[in-house]
Amino acid sequence: MAVCLATYGTVAGCRLYQPAERPAPQLLPGQTADVFTTARPSLAAAVNDFLGRLPEGEQPIEFPHNTHVKMNIACSTCHEGVETGPVAGLPSVRTCMICHEAIATDRPRIQQITAMRDKGLDLNWVRVYGYVREAHVKFNHAPHIRAKVECATCHGNIGEQTIAQRNVDLNMGFCVNCHRENDAPVDCLTCHF
Amino acid sequence: MPRWGMAADLDRCTGCGGCVVACHAENNISTVGDDQASRGRAKHWIRVERYYEGEFPDVRVKFRPVMCQQCDNAPCEPVCPTYASHHTDDGLNAQVYNRCIGTRYCANACPYNVRFFDFFNPSWEKPLHLQLNPDVSLREVGVMEKCTFCVQRIKSAQIGAKAGQREVRDGEIQPACVQGCPSKALVFGDLEDPESEVSRLSRSPRGTKLLEDLGTKPKVAYLARVSQT
Amino acid sequence: MDRRSFIKLTAITGSTAALTACGNPEHQLIRFVPDEDIVPGQAVWKPGVCPLCSAGCGLTVRVMDADADVVVDGQAGVKRIAAAKKLEGLPDHPVNRGALCPRGQAAIQVTYHPDRITQPLKRTGNRGTGQYEAISWDDAVVELVGRLDMLAGAGNQRMLAMLTRRTSGHRGALLEQFAARFGAPAPVVYELFGDEVLRRANAMSYGRAQLPTFDLANSRYVLNFGSDLLGTWNSPVAHSRAYGEMRQGRPGVRGTFVQVETRMSQTGANADEWVAIRPGTEGALALGIAQVIGGKHPDYTPDAVQKLTGVDARRVERLARGFEATRPAVAIVGGAPLAHTNGLFTALAVNTLNSLVGSVGQPGGVFFTPQLNRAAASNAGGGFTLQDIGNAHVLLVDGANPVFTAPAAWRVRESLEKVPYIVSVGSFLDETSALADLILPDHSFLETWSESLPESGSLAAVAGVAPAVMRPLHRTRATGDVLLDVGRRLATPVNLPWQTFDEMLAATFTGLPSAAPDVDTWSDAQTKGMWTGTLPAGLASGASPQTPAAAGAAAFAAPQFDGDPGQYPFHFLPYPSSKFLDGSLAHLPWLQEMPDPLTSGMWSSWVEINPATMQKLGIAEGDVVEVASAHGTVRSAAVVNPGIAPDTVAMPVGQGHTSFTRFASGRGENPVTLLAPVTEATTGALAWAATRVRVSRAGPADGRLVMFAGGLREHVEHER
Repeated sequence: MAVCLATYGTVAGCRLYQPAERPAPQLLPGQTADVFTTARPSLAAAVNDFLGRLPEGEQPIEFPHNTHVKMNIACSTCHEGVETGPVAGLPSVRTCMICHEAIATDRPRIQQITAMRDKGLDLNWVRVYGYVREAHVKFNHAPHIRAKVECATCHGNIGEQTIAQRNVDLNMGFCVNCHRENDAPVDCLTCHF
Repeated sequence: MPRWGMAADLDRCTGCGGCVVACHAENNISTVGDDQASRGRAKHWIRVERYYEGEFPDVRVKFRPVMCQQCDNAPCEPVCPTYASHHTDDGLNAQVYNRCIGTRYCANACPYNVRFFDFFNPSWEKPLHLQLNPDVSLREVGVMEKCTFCVQRIKSAQIGAKAGQREVRDGEIQPACVQGCPSKALVFGDLEDPESEVSRLSRSPRGTKLLEDLGTKPKVAYLARVSQT
Repeated sequence: MDRRSFIKLTAITGSTAALTACGNPEHQLIRFVPDEDIVPGQAVWKPGVCPLCSAGCGLTVRVMDADADVVVDGQAGVKRIAAAKKLEGLPDHPVNRGALCPRGQAAIQVTYHPDRITQPLKRTGNRGTGQYEAISWDDAVVELVGRLDMLAGAGNQRMLAMLTRRTSGHRGALLEQFAARFGAPAPVVYELFGDEVLRRANAMSYGRAQLPTFDLANSRYVLNFGSDLLGTWNSPVAHSRAYGEMRQGRPGVRGTFVQVETRMSQTGANADEWVAIRPGTEGALALGIAQVIGGKHPDYTPDAVQKLTGVDARRVERLARGFEATRPAVAIVGGAPLAHTNGLFTALAVNTLNSLVGSVGQPGGVFFTPQLNRAAASNAGGGFTLQDIGNAHVLLVDGANPVFTAPAAWRVRESLEKVPYIVSVGSFLDETSALADLILPDHSFLETWSESLPESGSLAAVAGVAPAVMRPLHRTRATGDVLLDVGRRLATPVNLPWQTFDEMLAATFTGLPSAAPDVDTWSDAQTKGMWTGTLPAGLASGASPQTPAAAGAAAFAAPQFDGDPGQYPFHFLPYPSSKFLDGSLAHLPWLQEMPDPLTSGMWSSWVEINPATMQKLGIAEGDVVEVASAHGTVRSAAVVNPGIAPDTVAMPVGQGHTSFTRFASGRGENPVTLLAPVTEATTGALAWAATRVRVSRAGPADGRLVMFAGGLREHVEHER
C-alpha cells in the first residue's frame, strides 16, 4: 500500500505542481490577472485526466442525432471541417439556425435555442469523444475519412442515438488494432506529438 | 520512406535569432521568466551559438544555429527507460511526452544540449494563450521536450500530399525556423532524395556535422563559413 | 498486474471521494455566440503588415479558431473567435520575401499582451502613478472634442502638439493633415535611433532625403561603416536576404564584406574583415580610401588617416584597392558613425565612395525605393520641438516614448508634466503614456487596417496594406477613425476628405497603376497584402538620384565628446538592442527570453567591456559595475566582449523601463539616462555616441544578469 501511495503521489502530485509564481501586476480597469496553465485545477481533475476519463456533463439541449441522420443530413454539415481538417467541429448555434430559422420553429427545443441565440448565448456542448490534453493525441479526421473509415467505426451507432453517448472506447489499443489491420503506421509519432 | 534532414549554411547565417523566436511561436514553448532562466531552465529548442576567436582588434565571430541534430545513432535513445525517446522510420528522433517520466537521462546523454525539461507547468498570462498552436501539444511539468523538426508541419504536408495523390515536393515542408530565416541559411528536406536541396547542400565540400566523431550520425549538415582573409 | 491497472487501482482506492466531486469548470462556463462562422481546426492565411519598425515587411498570418475569455454585459464567458496564431513573412513582398526578423516573429504578442490597455481610461491619480478609471468611448471622445474646442475658441490652435515616432505610411500623414486643418503645427517626430543625418546627407549627395536601398545580392564588395544592417538598421530583413545571396547565391562568386566600427555588432560579426576604428573618425577613413582610389583628397593620405582613425596605413591602402578592384562595390554608413557631432561629414564622405566606384543606381550598388508623391500638409509654422513641447496646451502622443528614449538632460518628463492635457493612443502604459490624462487605446495591427509605404528595402515601389486579420479583442478603437470622428465633431469641424481611415487608404491605392486592365488595385492590394510596380512620373516623388560630386565632402572635423577624457576615460556606446530596438519592444516576453546574439543575455541589462580593460579595472564577468557620465549613473553587470575597443564600453538600449508592462518594468538599466545632450552639428540630431563615461567596479554579481550560455549560473546559484 505504501508503494501504491508513493506512486500515486508521484503521478498525481507532480502533475499538479503549480507554475512558478510571478508577482501580481498592477492592473488597469478592464485587465485581468488570469493565467492559462497546464496545471490541473484539482487533484480529481488530474486523476481523471490520467485515467482518460472525460468529465460527465449535461448537454445544453437534448440534441436528437437520429432525427437529423434520418433526414440524410451529412455529419459534416454540422461537424464542420471534419472532411478537410483535423477537427470535427462542434456546431455553434449559428449553424443550427441556418436551417432552424425556418424549419420546425414550433418545436420547444428549437424555440429554446432560438431564444438563446437571441440573447447572444451559444450552445456549450460537452465533448463526448475526444482526448484529454495529457494524452497528447493529435488525431486528424480528414485522412481517416479519405481512407473510407466509417464514422460509425469510432463513433458507434450515433445515428440511432438521441443525445450522443460514448459507446466506443477509443483507447490506444482500439486505434492501434485498426492501424495494424490496415497497414497504417503505428509509430508513436503517428499520433503523439 | 523519407529521411528528414537539415542543412545550415553558416556562410549565410547572420546570427539574428529569427529562428529562435519563430520556434517559440510555432511550438508553444513557454517563457520561464528571469528567475528560472537564471537557473538554466529557459527552453530554446533552437539556439544560435556564438564563438569569438582572437583578440581585439583581430576578432572574429562564428555563429552556429543548433537544434536537435536528429541523430541516426542518438545517444538519448538507448538511455530512456520508457522508450519516450525513440527513432521513427523516417529518421526522426521522437520524443513521446506520454511516455516520458522525466528521468532526464536523455538530456544528460545528449552531447548537443538540445533537450529541455519542464520544471514547472508552463503558463501563459491570458490572453497570450490565444496564440497557442493547436497542432502542437502543450507539455506539462515533468517531461522533456526538444526540437521535433516541426513534425506537425511534416504530418500536415504528408496528409495534404496524400489527399492530392502526389508525393511531398521538395521544399514543401518548412519547419518554422527554416520558413522565417531572413538569409535562407536553413534548408529542410528529404535526405533519401538525392535531388533534394538539402541532399545537394549536405554533399557540399564545406559540409560538416556537429561532433560527428562521437558517432552520433547527426542529420543536420553545417556548411562552413568561407574564410577569405 | 500491469502498470496501467496498478495505477488505476491506486487511483481508485486513493480518491473515490474526490472523484465524485469532479467536474471540469469549463463546462459550467457561459458560451457566447461567435461573431462569425469559423471552421474549427482549419487554418486560413490572411495578409498583414508588420508595425514594429519602419521597414514595413509584409506578413501572412495564420488564423484559426480559439476560445477567448470575454465579458458581455458584465457576464463572463467564452466565445469562439478567429485568432491569429503565427506570423510569417509574405512570400512575394519585395522587402522581406517570406522572411521575418525575431522582432517580427514576436509581433503577435503585441496583440495578445496581458497588459494591453483594453478600454479608454481617464487619469484619477497623480501623473505617472498609473491610477486610471474606465471611461466610455462616447465620454472620452466628447472630452477630447471639448479640449480641442477650448483651444480653438481661444484662438490657440497652434498650442495643439502631436508627438509621434517615425512610421512609413498613412498614419503620420493623417496626423499631419489633421494638425494642418486644425491650425496646429506639424507633429514632432522623435526617434532615438533616427536616421535624420543620413537623410540629410543623401539629400545633399543624391537629391533624395531618404534611406538608401542596397542591391547587396549583386554586390561583390561591401564596405559597411558601422551600420547594423543585418540586425536592426534600415530594412534588416531585406538586407539579410540579399546578404545570403551575396555570400552563396551566385555560383563561383562570393561577395566580400568589410565592417568598420568600434564595437563588433551582430552585423560586424559576419564580416570577412573587421576594422576597429576610433569613434567618430569613420569619415576620415572613407576619405582616405577615396584618396587612394581617386587622389582627390590629398589631406587624407593613408598615413594621415592612420593618425586620425587608428587604422593602419597599409590597411587603408589595401581596403581601397579591394574596394576599387572588386566591382560592383558598395559603401554603406549608418548607426553610431553618424551619431557624432560630425555625423553629416561622415555620411557625405562615405557617399563619395559610391560615386568613385560608380555604384549609384547600378546593379550591386545604391538605390532609392521610388516613393509615392503625397500632398504636403500646410501646417502652421513655428512648430514644437521635443525640448519646448512643454509649452503646448494639448498634446497627442502616438507611439513615441521620449520620456524613456530622450536623454535626461532634455528634461522631457518635466516638460511634459507642464502640458495641461495629454492624450495618448498607446496600447501600453509606457513612461510617456503614463503621463497622459486620457488614453484612447488603438486596435492592434492585427485588428484593424495595417499599412506601410516602405522607404527602403525594395528596388521597386511598394505599398503594403491589409484589412483586419481578426476582430478586436478589447474595447479599443482604430486611432485613424477616432481622429476623423473627433475632427467632424469639433465646433469648427476639421473636415478631411475621408470618413474613415480606410477611405484614406483606398484613395491612395485606387490611384496606383494596375497590373492588368481589369484589376482593381485597391481590392487586389487588400487580397495580396501589398501593391508593387512602377510609379508613373506623376505619382513618384523626388528626382532620380544623382551621382554625388567626388570631391563634395567637407573637411574632417574632429568629433566632440561630452566629458573630460581625464575624468571620463571611456567612450560610451548605447546601441539598439537586437531584441528591443530603442526599448519599444521590451514588453514582449519572447524577446525578453531570446538570447542576445552576441552575449546570450536574457531578461537583463549589461555593460560590455573589453577583457583587457576588465582586467585592468579588476572587474570579473558578472560583477556589478558603475558607469557614470556627467549626466547620470547606472549600475549593471559587466560582460566580457572581445570585440569592443579597450577605451569603449557599450550597453544595449531597451531595458530599464520604469513603466512598461509586467515583463519590462523595473528590469535592467536604461543607458539613455547617461547621454549628454550633444547634437550633430548641422542637423541637430542627437549625437548618441558622443558621451564619455567612467567605469568602476561597484560590487560582486547580484544575480540580475541572466545568460543563456551559462557560465555564471552555478556561481549565482551557490550564492543564493
